[in-house]
Amino acid sequence: MLRYIVRRLLQMVLTFFGATFIVYALMFAVQDDPIQALVGERPITASQRTALTERFHLNDNFFAQYWYYMKGLLTGDFGTSMTNRKVADMLADAWPVTLRLSLLAIVIAAAVAILAGVVSGIRRGSIFDNATLVITLIVLAMPIVVLAPLAQLIFGIKLGWFPVTAGKDASLWQLLLPAIVLASLVVATELRVTRASVAENLRADYVRTARAKGLTRARVIGVHVLRNSLIPVITLIGVDLGALMSGAIVTEKVFNIPGVGFNLFRGIRTEDGPLVVGFVSVLVIVFLVVNLLVDLLYAALDPRIRYE
Amino acid sequence: MRGNGPWKMAAGVAAIALLAGGCSGGSSDDDETLPNTISIGIVEPDSLVPSNTTEANGSSVLASIFYPLIRFDDNSNPYTVAAESITHDKANKVWTIKLRSGFTFSNGEPVTADNYINAWNYGAYGPNAQLASYFFSRIDGYAQMQSIDPDGSGPDKASEPKAKKLTGLAKLNDLTFRVTLSAGFSGWESVMGNDSFYPLPKAAFKSDGVLADGFGDAPIGNGPFKMKGKWEHDSKIVVEKVADFKGTIPKVDGITWKIYQDLGAQYADLIAGNLDVETKIPIESLASASGDLGARLQKSKSSAFSFVGFPLYDKDYQNRDVRRAISMAINREEMTDQIFLGSETPATSFVSPVVAGYRANTCGDNCVYNPTEAKDLYTKANGPKDLKISYNADGGHKAWVDAMCNQIKASLGVNCTGSPEPKLADLLKKVREHKSVGMIRLAWAMDYPLMENYLAPLYTTDGSSNYYGYTNTAFDSLVAEGSAAATTQAAQKKWQDAEDILATDMPVLPLRFGQNVYGFSEKVTNVSMDLFQKVDIYKIEVAS
Amino acid sequence: MSDSAVSEQAVLEKVVGKPRSLASDAWHDLRRSKIFWIASVLILVILLMAAWPSLFTSADPRACVLSRQHRGASGSAIFGYDFQGCDVYAKTVYGARYSIVVGVFATLISGVIGAAVGLSAGFFGGWIDAILSRFIDIVLGVPLLLGAIVLAKRLSANPESNGVFAVTFTLGVLGWTTAARVMRSSVLTAKNQDYVAAARMLGASNSRLLFRHILPNSMASFTVVLTILLGINIASEATLSFLGIGLKGDAISWGIAISEATGYVRVAAGPLIWPSLFLAATVLAFIMLGDAVRDAFDPKLR
Repeated sequence: MLRYIVRRLLQMVLTFFGATFIVYALMFAVQDDPIQALVGERPITASQRTALTERFHLNDNFFAQYWYYMKGLLTGDFGTSMTNRKVADMLADAWPVTLRLSLLAIVIAAAVAILAGVVSGIRRGSIFDNATLVITLIVLAMPIVVLAPLAQLIFGIKLGWFPVTAGKDASLWQLLLPAIVLASLVVATELRVTRASVAENLRADYVRTARAKGLTRARVIGVHVLRNSLIPVITLIGVDLGALMSGAIVTEKVFNIPGVGFNLFRGIRTEDGPLVVGFVSVLVIVFLVVNLLVDLLYAALDPRIRYE
Repeated sequence: MRGNGPWKMAAGVAAIALLAGGCSGGSSDDDETLPNTISIGIVEPDSLVPSNTTEANGSSVLASIFYPLIRFDDNSNPYTVAAESITHDKANKVWTIKLRSGFTFSNGEPVTADNYINAWNYGAYGPNAQLASYFFSRIDGYAQMQSIDPDGSGPDKASEPKAKKLTGLAKLNDLTFRVTLSAGFSGWESVMGNDSFYPLPKAAFKSDGVLADGFGDAPIGNGPFKMKGKWEHDSKIVVEKVADFKGTIPKVDGITWKIYQDLGAQYADLIAGNLDVETKIPIESLASASGDLGARLQKSKSSAFSFVGFPLYDKDYQNRDVRRAISMAINREEMTDQIFLGSETPATSFVSPVVAGYRANTCGDNCVYNPTEAKDLYTKANGPKDLKISYNADGGHKAWVDAMCNQIKASLGVNCTGSPEPKLADLLKKVREHKSVGMIRLAWAMDYPLMENYLAPLYTTDGSSNYYGYTNTAFDSLVAEGSAAATTQAAQKKWQDAEDILATDMPVLPLRFGQNVYGFSEKVTNVSMDLFQKVDIYKIEVAS
Repeated sequence: MSDSAVSEQAVLEKVVGKPRSLASDAWHDLRRSKIFWIASVLILVILLMAAWPSLFTSADPRACVLSRQHRGASGSAIFGYDFQGCDVYAKTVYGARYSIVVGVFATLISGVIGAAVGLSAGFFGGWIDAILSRFIDIVLGVPLLLGAIVLAKRLSANPESNGVFAVTFTLGVLGWTTAARVMRSSVLTAKNQDYVAAARMLGASNSRLLFRHILPNSMASFTVVLTILLGINIASEATLSFLGIGLKGDAISWGIAISEATGYVRVAAGPLIWPSLFLAATVLAFIMLGDAVRDAFDPKLR
């Protein structure tokens, strides 16, 4: 097991470089005219263009630019965004709030999905099962661009149950409504997958064996079925966690949370290479760690899965 | 199943994760609302260095920290503020600026002529790449401060500029300096109303001509407010009153400039009472805004001008009658009423009503909705069967572009589609490469309130925003003659003649003049906005 | 207890008595499934709508007149008119085509890539798993938006294209990671089951093990992920279109219609609700079909 973890950690280093390289290349491919993108609708003079091109090494070739960037990154310098802010500062500003938001969302999503999923898996075809299906479908069919402002309008402004916006130093209470909105994005898949695997495991031989041994229904479901049904759900949660961090663009915008999704979106729109690569580098590390944890959880949940 | 190890493990992971998240923040309640302070919503400014600020958000914040040489009255005529007097020679070439005495920066430094000269030299120096540096281009010596890259965008380093200072700036004494222009310009006083002409204190510079690190995050100005702490990026900028300020004294003790990513979120905070002023109500919220805000929803004049440019390099659009027909095929009134819900007004001139010299309907019959004549003209001119309007998808233009296309389809009986590009830079790149983009959606907001600012950059042959490639030597020389004219009246006459040429040639299709559509909370009164989309921070006060 | 004993007996009889292929077994079960028929009819209607929208409406979805803005339902336009004064019913019917094409084909592409990567990683393990899994990690790390902008820019360089291929390909190529991770996890569980070990001991080849034993037993979660991905893809198309890297020209789709109507939901909800309903019904139909087919193919159910 320890050897496996060490090997995974080594793989991480390689993956990290692979990922930064790919993202750097993608940003390079996106960059048509980052200087015009930087100034927006204003015209730029030739002299400004010259100065900015030199400042950001924009006229060097791809490998030279990548080399500049990696040299900085390896010495812990994430570089400077085209808006003249240190990317390290921007990371430090954006990650805490995103981390809290996405963890809160994933906890809400997992709790709802696993609870409701298990009940519908056991009572397939019941009113509860069909009702959750319809509700998840409605949520699914409503794009986030509709859901987030609507939730804000109804629960924030009209009913006044939740704070309307969150901001940078938001408390968990301020983040609750955006977290619920975010959770609704992933809850459908997680719920359906829980339901499917619970239903499947209920039919497995070991359940019959356990029941035959005289174990109570609660124990059979609570311990044996749930434990075996969790593997695909945990996989999903792992993937979703990362997706919520980078993909919360709309939710962050509606609730005015200057997090990772917002910064990525801004960076991509303004063709700001150092900004995007910096954020994605950290994001990839998060993915790598979370997926390692998920793989380790597999082995814990199912002793037959072994890594060596 | 042996024990419940995995559960403990899972719970442990979750607990650690939550702790990690929970610990790192949550020290909220930072907005201790002092009694006489207000909050105004903005979008994250590009910069707070005056010579690098060209958009309304940064400009609003700077207006509270700095005190300008001149301001504009209701008729857009300049009057002196930080300057005691501004005089010029007969040729409008040499301008002498005398400063009011007794003013200091918020760090205690007295304001002197040197502060202006150093700031302007910094802004004009090419390698500093200040976005507003073109404002200094009329001053003598500007050209020598720009670097020229020998191989365009190639790998060779650009040459060092010949000069580091503007030769046209000269200090006469501590409170007086002289500006020499490279050519006479009667409107120069108005140009100096721009943000880039604010002075910078000695503390702003690390060494001669090099800005101190971090100055952009906590600028020090000569205005009625000073920064309280640093610019908290993507979150807020707080300013507080300067004690015994010598100029006009504002009625509030402090302003929190709250930064929003999105106007929708800003609007939500406004009607929830978390924000005092929103300077731009989003169109989607306009329909419900009068119900939400009542009399606290207001409109005022702004300088914005929206138009559609014809790609004159494209054969399809080279026939003047085609352009005239398209212009007559659209119903501007219906668009401003139905799409913009009256927040913008139809444009039938090329120059905005906010500047002196504006005349109504200079576009004449060409801008009057007349589908039958439009169709006649279009068929006779043998216009293209497929029309396209390109726009940038990130500016909320889809609704009106689609509506305009629908009007064109209905009037001319040809096909018309809106074609989105991710951002304006992508669209302009295609235009520069003379790709077939169809008509181009464009807009203009003035730099200074002169007719010339609506003409020279947009339509002269080497105009900085003349993307569509319009060229007319008669027009060019009229604009130049106007700028060189001895008096503003004489200048206006020339510029009006130039505008008439546009009405005949129709290089662009005027669509709408913008307005400030703003809303405020019950906490504040006397909210008004100027032509540059800025709240008047001297008039606004807390309701008693 | 007695119930399961009986059913076991029945299964045994079925298997021993009448040896039939899995597929014909499944078809036998499907024919008697009510859910299967409901789903099939729904999907058929939607496909018809996508192929021949003019069967459902005679109105032109592109004939929009501003003066009809947000006018309510009437005989000629049963769902009323939207912000631009377009017939909402006609727009919804015509919107089916691109939404279905993008949704179904992008999901298929994701499904094929996801299944291939997930199966190989889970089944072979070792360095194959290491390489494929880390590759998944990298793709997960690339923001969808960035990948989409790059791909869409390159794919839709031709100004004449309507962008359908670009959008489908982009969503398909970037959306397979979840499916792959889920497939891998199911395979990891399935390959340790006793029957797989038994089959392996009996000398079954790798491909037989994979496609006969492991794949059918790993389909449950995978199918669910794919059916929901279908809905997500239809909605994602709208996002891309709104950023200017999606469908071009006067293309009509549910996603675009929904996004356009969102801003005016407080004024007129109809233009938002109708396409959303059609989208929900489509996803529902595919979820039901997926459930029914999976049940029919599940060897443990017989």
